[in-house]
Amino acid sequence: MIELLVTVFSATFFVTVIRTTTPLLFATLGGLISDLSGALNVALEGMMLIAALTAVIVSVYAPWYVAVLSGVAAGAMLGALMALFHLRFKADIILVGFAVNILATGGTVFALAQATGGDKGTSINLQSKAVPAVNLSFLEAIPLIGPTLKALLSGHSILSWLGVFMVFAVWYFLFRTPYGLWLRGVGEYPAAPEAAGIPVGKVRAWSLVASGALAGIGGAQLAMFNYIGFTRDMTSGRGFIALGAVLLGARHPVGAMLAALLFGIFEGLAVVMPNLFNWIPGEIIQTIPFVVTVLALILFSYRAQRALKTRAQARA
Amino acid sequence: MSTTSPSRWKAVRREAGRALTAVVIALAVALIVILCTSADPGAAFRTLLTAPLSSNRTMGLWIDDVAKLTLTGLAFSLVFQARQFSMGVQGQVYMGGLFAALIAMSPIGTTPLAIPVAMLAAMCAGAVYGFIPGYAKARFGASEIVSSLMLNYIAILVVNYLIRAHLAPAGTGQLMTAKFPDTAIFPAIIPGTRFDLGIIIALVATFAVWFLLYRTSWGLKLRLVGHNPKFAEYAGIRSSFIMVSAMTVAGAFGGLLGSVFVQGRAFGNLAQSFDGNLAFEGILIAIVARSRPLAVPFVALAYGYLRQGAQLMGIRTDVPTEMISVVQAIIILLVASSFSLPGKKFFMGLLGKKPAPATPEAAK
Repeated sequence: MIELLVTVFSATFFVTVIRTTTPLLFATLGGLISDLSGALNVALEGMMLIAALTAVIVSVYAPWYVAVLSGVAAGAMLGALMALFHLRFKADIILVGFAVNILATGGTVFALAQATGGDKGTSINLQSKAVPAVNLSFLEAIPLIGPTLKALLSGHSILSWLGVFMVFAVWYFLFRTPYGLWLRGVGEYPAAPEAAGIPVGKVRAWSLVASGALAGIGGAQLAMFNYIGFTRDMTSGRGFIALGAVLLGARHPVGAMLAALLFGIFEGLAVVMPNLFNWIPGEIIQTIPFVVTVLALILFSYRAQRALKTRAQARA
Repeated sequence: MSTTSPSRWKAVRREAGRALTAVVIALAVALIVILCTSADPGAAFRTLLTAPLSSNRTMGLWIDDVAKLTLTGLAFSLVFQARQFSMGVQGQVYMGGLFAALIAMSPIGTTPLAIPVAMLAAMCAGAVYGFIPGYAKARFGASEIVSSLMLNYIAILVVNYLIRAHLAPAGTGQLMTAKFPDTAIFPAIIPGTRFDLGIIIALVATFAVWFLLYRTSWGLKLRLVGHNPKFAEYAGIRSSFIMVSAMTVAGAFGGLLGSVFVQGRAFGNLAQSFDGNLAFEGILIAIVARSRPLAVPFVALAYGYLRQGAQLMGIRTDVPTEMISVVQAIIILLVASSFSLPGKKFFMGLLGKKPAPATPEAAK
């Protein structure tokens, strides 16, 4: 137990948590935007997976930032596809989302086999690149707290820093710009913005595109920093966990960040625990993020439900 | 539901036509993909379309898939009719398979009771696993989509662990249990093929789901809750009870599928990751069948053929089996959307002309 605590309160664990949180954070922000616009994006998982493969394949031939951008573009295009079928052809958003997920699970394996010349498991024989880490070793020069600061802040992916910025950007967009107001209005009660002349369909379509783009960054981070290269089904439920994190984060960007961080911590625990407790089977440790998601979801929904009830009683 | 029979036939014909159009479009896209990637596109496409009929063995494989696809399609149809998007069939299959295997490997496994008891255990395990997300939604308001998906991952990991560490024969390092005793494996209907009890179970289950949905008051309430939850509530239907029970009953069918998997002649044991993602394909079956239980076996027959063709294409030609996911996704997208005739509206849509002033989706 002591060993676990020592590990958890170390700088390396903090770095691990930031690494595991980053893909989740982007996916959660993406889920948040589409959820606020009134469309539950269950395709985050598939979007991340396809973006991850796209980024890996592009990074073989192009610099890392082009690869990340192509992952983003892949996610955004899937978002546009969903918008087309959901808004124009009136398909149920959840079914469309699962169509994307099915396309992703099989399609990535198919594309991987084409790109590697037959390998259906990993992209190990592709020379893919990584997202560079931000080196802040100059912080060490600060007296007293310098070494700690360096240990905590140096060595994160550029995309992790972008993630922190995105939390702020999404918050600013949602709560400080007219378009954010439109988006929230469309999700809350579409008839009112419609009457006010706001293009409801367009707002929804763009929020699905944005949602896909954000999930795409998450996928790129996963395949170009957390792991270097693509493995089949490498998202392993992160998109669905992100969906839970949206609900858990009370549909607010900061809440989304905290929820992503919570799941990131437990995923980090699942990373470090096999070394500390070799008597716990690996499969059981791997269930931790999923179990935590279910429990957190139930607990949070229960609290939200109760809050709603007490408010209704107070009004009566 | 006071449709007279001519108009009902019309509806059936219309739906079948839509599904067929979707399949044709999807296959056309598949042909393009094959043309772009294969060295011998003709052979690959021919294998995809004709290989399942090439021998008794492949036909047995096809029918075996049809039985399983029917069961997962039924499980999804039940929850979709109640408009619950519970995606937990995969987890239920694993739990059902686990408990069927435990019974088959226990002393009961060598008695004639093995098959019914194992099936019953699997159904109970699946029902419990289906009940959890339902209860969490009804009692706490937790989204059933997220919780059921999480439960899938948990079930797969737990079953894989149990197989690796406890159920596999010690010291062999195998990732599967030993073969069950013969009394616990479904008898073959046609000797030498995989044509076994599974297909009969699937047909009985189809009838059972149809009866539950269309000939009992529970089914009527369930469909009402699915169609219009507000109205159902005004009519005094306890929608949360219907919701939970729909997910539980669907879970029982998911569990039954688990027992069909492990006790069928294809396996006859419990192996890691045995479902090969088949459980999730029930979504496609249920969507194309419009969640109508009587349509499910027919859709499963057609889709199973395509699926088997893809498997054989992956083995015999240079096009990977996974190519079929493109076809799956297109079929779901087209059938779930409201394209009427693929020509007119689709092209008008492409040109950016709205066919009718879009009504705001105020229902949400």
